[in-house]
Formats: sequence, C-alpha cells, structure tokens
Amino acid sequence: MKSFGAGVMSNSIPEIRELDFMFIIGSNTTEAHPIIGMEMKIARQRGARLVVADPRKIWLAEHADVHMQLKPGSDVWLINAMAKVIVDEGLVNQDFIDKHTEGWPALKANLEKFNLAEAERMTGVPAADIKAVAVEYAKTRKAAIYYTLGITEHAHGTDNIFSLANLVMMTGHLGVPFGGLNSLRGQNNVQGATDAGATPLYYVGFQPAQDPEVQKKFEQAWATDLPATIGKHLNTMMKGIEEGSMKALYVMGEDILISEPNTNHLEHGVKELEFLIHQDIFMNETTKYAHVVLPGANFAEKDGVFTNTDRRVQRVRKAVNPPGNARPDWQILCDVARAAGYAMPHYKNAGEIYAEIASLAPRYAGISHERLDRTPMGLQWPCTSPEHDGTVYMHKDGPVKGKGSFIVTNYRPPVELPDEEYPFNLATGRVLYHYNAGTQTRRDSGTMAKVGECQIEVHAEDAARLGVAEGDWVKVVSRRGGIKARVWLSGRVQKGHVWMPLHFTDSAINKLTVDVGDPLAGTAEYKVCAVNLLPLKDKKPAAAGAELEAVRHPQA
Amino acid sequence: MSETFTIKIDGRECVALQGETVLQVARREGIQIPTLCDDKRLDPAGACRACLVEIDGQRRLQPSCAWKAADGQNVKTHQSSPRVQRHQDVLVSLYMSDHKLDEQGLPVETPNGNDLRAWAKDCSTLKLDPVNAPRVARPGDKNPYIHFDPELCVLCARCTRYCDEVEAVNAITLTNRGSETTIGTAGMRGLLDTSCELCGGCVDTCPTGALIEKKSPKTLPEQVTKVRTTCNYCGVGCQMDLNVAKVDGQERVVRVTSPEPGTTVNDGNLCVKGRFAYDFIHHKDRITEPMIRKADGKLHVVSWDEAIKFAAEGLKRAAQRHGPESVGFISSARCTGEENFLMGKLARAVFKTGNVHSCAAT
Ligand code: SF4
Ligand code: SF4
Ligand code: FES
Repeated sequence: MKSFGAGVMSNSIPEIRELDFMFIIGSNTTEAHPIIGMEMKIARQRGARLVVADPRKIWLAEHADVHMQLKPGSDVWLINAMAKVIVDEGLVNQDFIDKHTEGWPALKANLEKFNLAEAERMTGVPAADIKAVAVEYAKTRKAAIYYTLGITEHAHGTDNIFSLANLVMMTGHLGVPFGGLNSLRGQNNVQGATDAGATPLYYVGFQPAQDPEVQKKFEQAWATDLPATIGKHLNTMMKGIEEGSMKALYVMGEDILISEPNTNHLEHGVKELEFLIHQDIFMNETTKYAHVVLPGANFAEKDGVFTNTDRRVQRVRKAVNPPGNARPDWQILCDVARAAGYAMPHYKNAGEIYAEIASLAPRYAGISHERLDRTPMGLQWPCTSPEHDGTVYMHKDGPVKGKGSFIVTNYRPPVELPDEEYPFNLATGRVLYHYNAGTQTRRDSGTMAKVGECQIEVHAEDAARLGVAEGDWVKVVSRRGGIKARVWLSGRVQKGHVWMPLHFTDSAINKLTVDVGDPLAGTAEYKVCAVNLLPLKDKKPAAAGAELEAVRHPQA
Repeated sequence: MSETFTIKIDGRECVALQGETVLQVARREGIQIPTLCDDKRLDPAGACRACLVEIDGQRRLQPSCAWKAADGQNVKTHQSSPRVQRHQDVLVSLYMSDHKLDEQGLPVETPNGNDLRAWAKDCSTLKLDPVNAPRVARPGDKNPYIHFDPELCVLCARCTRYCDEVEAVNAITLTNRGSETTIGTAGMRGLLDTSCELCGGCVDTCPTGALIEKKSPKTLPEQVTKVRTTCNYCGVGCQMDLNVAKVDGQERVVRVTSPEPGTTVNDGNLCVKGRFAYDFIHHKDRITEPMIRKADGKLHVVSWDEAIKFAAEGLKRAAQRHGPESVGFISSARCTGEENFLMGKLARAVFKTGNVHSCAAT
C-alpha cells in the first residue's frame, strides 16, 4: 500500500482479545469473518471499547459503545473529521510523525476544511460522537482499526484506506503490538493469490513486475524471456472483453459472470471470446460459454497453502481423492504449460512448488511445507529464513517502505446517487450463512434452511409506502438490469437505503451494479448504486437454484 | 511478566504462573485430573465436581478447575489421595445411574466421544439403581445440523456457557428445575427459530456426546481419520480437521471438527460454514470429466490429453493472431498459493503476458 507498504493486516488475530479499543469501519465482522468477530466479542466482554462505523445496524453495531451510522459513501468525511479533531485537541504523536513519516504539513493543511459541524451534515453522525471517538482512539494505547469489503469495494475505496492510514500514523498506532491498520480480507486465500504473483503488478512476493532487475531475475529462474510491461488488472480485462480487445481467457475457480459487476455487458463480451477455458469444481454461468471445461479439485482433495488475512501461511492437506477424473489444479496448470511448449518442471508435489516460491521471494524464504507441518499456528510473513519466527506485527522498526506517506484525501460523491426514478441507495454484502456466489453453501441443506433466497433489507416505512410486507417479492431495478428478491424488514437499514447479499446466482446481483473501478485497486463499485423496487404481483417466482440445475452435467 | 512460584501436586514440585488454576498447572505437568465442565475458553463453573482435589488446609475437597494455585500449596489428586478416589468412584456412579449405558454397563460411546466413559473405566464404579430422570429434548427441532439427546446430558452447561460467553448469542439455556433440568431454548423453539448461528460450538464443547452433528449420527471417533487443514471459506483461516471415513467403500469427509482450543489461530472455534457446510465436497454436481465444446455447440467428454492439448492450442492461437496482450488469466482466491503462483508463471513465462489477476480481489 502506498501509505506505509503492504495493504494487509499489520497486526494479528490473537492480539484482538487483548485490545482496549476497537474501531470497526465498513466491516460486518461477525458475518463476514465470524471467528474474528468472536475474538472481538471476547475483547468486548473483557471490557474493551467498541466503536462501529457502518450504515447498517449490524450485530456489532448493536453491541457497540458507539454506533456511527454514517451515510453510505461518506467514510472519507468521517475519517478526516476525526483526524482534524486529533489535530485540534493536540493529540498527534509528533515523535512518530517526525521519525517515520513524510507529507504531514500538506495533510494537516488539507484537514482544515473537515470541521465537525459540516462533518455531521455530510455523514449523519453526531459531531459529539465523532469528537469523542477520535479523542478516545488517539488516547488509547491498545487501539486498533479494522476494515473490509465495505470500504475497499468502493469506487474510492483506496481514498478511505489512505484516510485510515493517516489516522493510524498521526497517532503512532503502527509498529506496535495491539494496534495497527487491519484489512480483513474476504476470501480464504485472497491474500495468498496476490502474494503468489497472481496480479499484474507483482511477481511472487510483491516484486514489482515493471522493475527490469526483477524481470531479469525471473528470466534466469524460469529460463525464458518475460514481458517487460505490467499487464491488465481484472477490471481492465473485463472491459477488454466487453470491447472485444481481449480474445482468449483462462478462468480458474471463478465465475466471472456472477462475481463481476454489470454482468449484462460482460456476458455479451464473453459470448464473443475466441477461446475460453473454464477450470472449476462446479459448472456455473461462465461454463456456458467455455470451449474447454477442466475439472479441478477442491481444498479437501489437494495439497498446498492458503494465506489468511493476518499473513498467516497455513497448510491445505489432501484428505480424499477428487471425483471421477478430476485432478488437482496445480497439475492441470503444469500440463497446459508443457503442452504449450514450456519446460515446466515436473513437480512431484505441491511442496516442491512452494520451495520454488520460497527460493524466489525473500519474504517467504523461511517457509516450507515441512516447517508448516511442525507449526500448528502457521507462519506469518515476512518470514525470511528457517530460523525466523515469522512476523506477528509489522512495521516494528518503522514503516516497511522506509517512511510512511501521509496521503491527502478528499470527499468524492458516489458515482451514482438516487434520483426520482431510482430513489433507493443499494448496498451489497455478505451474510453469515453463505459464501460469495454460493456455489458451495447453496449446496448445503442447513445454510439454505437459514437463508434460502435472495432477500432485500428494506426500511419499514419505505416498505409501507411501497405497499409491500415482509416476505413479499419485489423486482429490484437499476439503470443496468433487474432481479427479484424477497422483502426483509430487518430493522438494520436506514430510510431510503436497501441492502442485499451477493450469494444468489438466480438473482445475480451484479446485474445491477456499476462497474467503475477504483482507479488504483481495480476493484469495482459493488457498494453503492441507485435502484427502485417494484412490487411483484405473483409473489412466487421460479424456484431458487433453477438456473444452476440447468447447467450441470451435460450429457456426453 | 507474570510471577512464578511452585506448588506440590502428589508430592511433585510444579511451577505455577500467577493467576493459574491448580488444574492448569496439573495439565501442563501431565498430571491427569478428570473434568467434565471445564473448557479453556470458558470461565470456570465448578459445576461437575469431577476435578475435586485435596488441598492442605481445606476441610472440603475443592474443584481444581476453579481453585487458584498459591505459593507452597500442597495438592493431592486421586493418584495420591484415597479420599479423592472414593469421591470419584461415587460421583461417576451417580452420573452413570442417569446415563445411557452399553452392554458392558459403561457410558455409551458416541460420534462425539464420551469423557464419562473414559473416566468410568478408571474408577471402581458402584451399581446404583437407574434414575431415568424425565428430561426433555426439543421435539420438532428441524435444524439440519445439531442433535440433542437429553439421556446423555450431564448438565455441565458447557454448551450454554459457550453460547453465552464465546458466541455471545444466548440461544440455549438451562431450562426446567431439579431432575427435569435440560438444555432448552426460549419457548423450546427449534434452533432455526432462535438467535442460534449454528456455529456448532456447543457440539464441539459437549463432553459426553449429548450434542452431536446430525449429518453423521453413526460414525464413531475411532472410525475416522482426521486430516488437519485450513478452512476454504473466509479469510480468517481457521484450522480444522476433516474427518474421513469409508462410505460404501469410498473415502469420504463425513464430518468437520475443530482442533484443541489454544493450539491454532481459531482457538478451537469454527463458524457455521467451516463446521457444517461441507456437503459441496462430494456433491453430485461436481464436474468429473474434461470436456470440449464441439461443432454441435455442446460439451463432450474427452480424454485429459485431448483437453489439455486443445486448451494449450486455443490460447496459443489467440496469442499468435492478436498478440499476447489479448490473452488473459483469471486466477482464484479459492485455489492454493502454489496454484496462483503457477497461474502467474503460465501467463508470464509461457504466454508472455502480465494479464493475470485473481477474481474479486478483496
Ligand atoms: S450452534 Fe452455536 S449459537 Fe447455536 S446453540 Fe450451539 S453454541 Fe449457541
Ligand atoms: S470456519 Fe468460518 S470463520 Fe473460520 S475460516 Fe472458515 S468461514 Fe472463516
Ligand atoms: S471440571 Fe472442575 S468442576 Fe467441572
């Protein structure tokens, strides 16, 4: 990350229960990261103070000392206003700022305009709360910040994160145990995917792809010439598919037609691809257009590692065989590489692949399958040698990138605001009982018994005005498409706002959303878009899951 | 730093840390004391009386799980105190008079183990008349995961305390009085209609198998092999044990259990997805054969050789015709680190493009 290097959890999960103050922004932790949520509950029961900034009245918000129910998209305002309070109250950690950062004068000057009265108007959070929380955060030593999807999957998600990083640095809550800025990553191995170099910006271990030295090093190691430029990130590739400049795609373990925003456009482009490989454990929307389907293995059927949100590398171990002729994905990838004419080594097992990773990336140099097998707690990177114990909290001797940079941020309104035709603000997220597109959790009787259909949280007054009751079906329409969902009067959303989970393929929510990406992170604006709700006459549309059924097991 | 001092257990000098209980010291020293209601994750309840020990200066036996160690303390367990052993013989017999027993008269084995059984084997039990207390389960509880058998419940309250102290949702509580005390919910509703989050922590902590997982009600612990792995759902990275057993001659994951508290990042806890949502592993919808779309527009099963060749040539053709920039590689946060590494290597080393990213990079 540009602020102080490494956009990851700076600190560790086991530290949470010892905290005295937690600031949780844009993270529905008890549902999206249940066991981290549990650690927060333990801290709470021990007496730690809990502040939750979230537009919805989520579980943690109900149990918080302060719930800052901010307007969606007003995060920058809130955080900058807190920063200004800290300046005004003389609570900045000048020592840390002088020693470890740069850009402070510019930031300080920019904070001037974020006064409390205006902040209250922009965010909807009482000025007194903003002030009290800012002061308490600055004054408490064991104080940590947690954020997640809510804040990153936003067209200006990186602005939010820079603002938080400013807050952390100006108070010196960095490089210490029980503090830091902690990004809770959504998926089991999303950290590990980036770590391993599945990103256009970096080779394995965050080695910049456009650095000629790095390129040379990998050319030697892999005995071939390598591209001199960085590639396209996901959002740009998807745009390229829509526009026809991308011609062939190899998709492993994902459903781009469900997980990407503004799916209608994309589907058209995917249809036109010259060549599409889909490698997965289940068929999905993407499979419909694939020229080749390669059956992979799930986590119970192969060896390897996942890296969790606190940089913890842990083993994945094969327990059973893949079904039929399905194979571990790493073997398939090696075979494709060889068939394309490259001399991919004949790795005997996943451990040998990890050994190659460790030999090429200094920050994992001390990690091996053998060592992980002896370490039930896993190893947290950086772990630079077999003697290195791993890193519980980062930036101990100052920010990893040398000096931490204060980055000036300013409020930008959401790309799409409600209007007469689309009067509701829609946000999307996760529920406890499902995972992503639901390809796994929707195949389980229990999670389906708990939450079996696409629901939409609506404020009771809005529902009354629309003439719909709990359980009624409505059509949710945006400028890009429409999907059906059941009304749920959860009591969590504010008036004028609606919220939906993203797990149901038969009402693919991404048909509604805007695909303007965050300019830096390349993540799309999942979070805020304008919609209208149309009550449906027939209250029972086709059974959930019907579309999934239709694509499974084509006959040979 | 916490202060250390020494106490004596069964004549042995043991180092203790400030604030530790006698049980914690004994466990670290490898001295076995039976327990039912103790769980590291919970405040001591001192409810089951299984862990009583003799402490110099105390007239009554005291629960080692709740009793704080103090400098110079002299403790005797059943190993060195006949009085403690007698207490245990009587107590275990009382528990057994109100418990399901097998043909040998021992507390039954269950899919979730049974600590009472192991303990009874170590005691000289007395034959007491069965009590058969009239405790009720929750009739009509349609929740898909958790089964409760009141005949195996010893009322240690680990499940209800877990639900309160760890999961913090208070879905279950001790209900009714006296011999009718049972584990209930508000209005004896099914778990699906309560604040229960189906985390299964109550099943995990239950010492006697009164709570078991519904999906594998027959498979006993000795019939499974446990494989330690990392959960494949969210980014917490909980460690879990896949319980593998033979089903119709095939190795199958029949259950997921959590590691010992205190040994992994998740401290013995799992959420509903990690613990219960594993049906997808062996689901009938799994793709089992490589396939190629042929002229008729349909997917046809082919050999691996054919599929791999077709895949590699398709990518190569596009790269030759339109340049490497036109080819993209979408990797997955669902796959392993090694696989993501190989996807990057495939894109860059083989197809000469940096167009590689994982989907939903959040
Ligand atoms: S499953 Fe979890 S939430 Fe439900 S009763 Fe058991 S401990 Fe409580
Ligand atoms: S068990 Fe639940 S909290 Fe733990 S990693 Fe899996 S999904 Fe996340
Ligand atoms: S374990 Fe000590 S009283 Fe139950």
